[in-house]
Amino acid sequence: MKALTSLTATELRLLFRDPASLFFMMAFPLMLLVLKRGESGAVPGYIAMIAAIGGMGALPGTVASYRERKVLKRLAATPISPVLLLAGQLVAQVVAALAGAVVLVVASIVVFDVEAPRNVLLLAAAFLLCSVMVCSLGFVIAAVVRNTRGATLIGMLVMFPMIFLAGAAVPRKALPDSLRQIGDFLPLTPGVQALSDGWSGTAAVFPIVILTGIIVAGTAIAAALFRWE
Amino acid sequence: MEAIEVRDLRKTYGGTHAVDGVTFTVRTGETFGLVGHNGAGKTTTVECLIGLTRPDEGTVRVLGEDPARRRRALAQRVGAQLQESSLPERIKVAEALRMFGSFYQSGNDWRQVMERWGLGPLARKAFGDLSGGQKQRLMLALALVGDPEVVVLDELTTGLDPIARRETWQLIKDLKTAGTTVVLVSHYFDETEALCDRIAVLARGRVRAMGSPSEIIAGTGTASLEEAYFALEGTDR
Repeated sequence: MKALTSLTATELRLLFRDPASLFFMMAFPLMLLVLKRGESGAVPGYIAMIAAIGGMGALPGTVASYRERKVLKRLAATPISPVLLLAGQLVAQVVAALAGAVVLVVASIVVFDVEAPRNVLLLAAAFLLCSVMVCSLGFVIAAVVRNTRGATLIGMLVMFPMIFLAGAAVPRKALPDSLRQIGDFLPLTPGVQALSDGWSGTAAVFPIVILTGIIVAGTAIAAALFRWE
Repeated sequence: MEAIEVRDLRKTYGGTHAVDGVTFTVRTGETFGLVGHNGAGKTTTVECLIGLTRPDEGTVRVLGEDPARRRRALAQRVGAQLQESSLPERIKVAEALRMFGSFYQSGNDWRQVMERWGLGPLARKAFGDLSGGQKQRLMLALALVGDPEVVVLDELTTGLDPIARRETWQLIKDLKTAGTTVVLVSHYFDETEALCDRIAVLARGRVRAMGSPSEIIAGTGTASLEEAYFALEGTDR
């Protein structure tokens, strides 16, 4: 436990030391909020976007670099398991996304008078599931793509279309029919749905179940395919 | 008392015999060198010692335990510096030492280790900004933060400038004075000659000669360890 806490704290520090992560998870969503003049329906989507940027945009490259630069191997020569480093990376991404989400939510309520979330507990559960879900996809990418540059690139190539088609960066209403249909099959879509449900207070079980299923499947696939070297 | 016993160790990768029947023992408190050129089987042997690689055949005992079965328990007592391993670019020296310190049940206070190995002035420097010598010094300190009984150092001084190499030699001599058992992997003959009580010369996965540097030199009738090595290797490159 001491080792996991220490690894997570270190990973979090490294994440906040990275200017790109800081910008895309903190400042960028706020900029979008200002451009949208605080449109209330947009906030849950932006929360999903923050999580996706961390879990799919940043995590695959970081994990692949730990493997490529033999950081994982060095940890395997200590009494802890290198799995703990991956767990630390996951927790750090979730916490960083939470920080970005809290800043966004507070700004939207204080500056733009957005109506506060109706069901905070459900919103928190939806956030946690959505955030862990995107990280599980990030681990699948890091497991399948071997080198750092490739993993970063594939992470971005998966993440960017997804945040647009899943209704995270722009509302799905604004999309043409054909693109909206693609969105129906994207894993981030139930994430946006669950967050919106939590915000509006309409408890819907379906997106939560889907998210849980994706987490279980993603983790299983990543665990089966991951190479330590 | 033997700290390490390796008997008839074999490991094959895709039809190549990386290690092809290696036997040696290392006594407690001894500095033992594994010498040989690239591909001689040094790193595979070392990875078997710390449980990162499972031998195909043979037995390995470190502090009386099997590293392949008891890797994590042994890692509490065995420190390692691995070839080409590194840390995240943005981690700071003090953070790395504190983090690794948290992995061990008992061990040295990480601040003391940091000062002891002259890393205090670099405490707030990021790993990616360190020079090659500074990185190696940090990796060595990380191998020692758990206060190990046995330390395995794989190509510790490769890529270092001559001054940094000499500094590192002194650090290893200090370890020996403190009674730590050291396994030193190197392809520098001057280094192994200066530091090691005994060495095993490896070539093509086998031990060609074993003994103190002077015994090996005498045994081949040559003038230096380097010449002895080429005589044993049978190739004059």
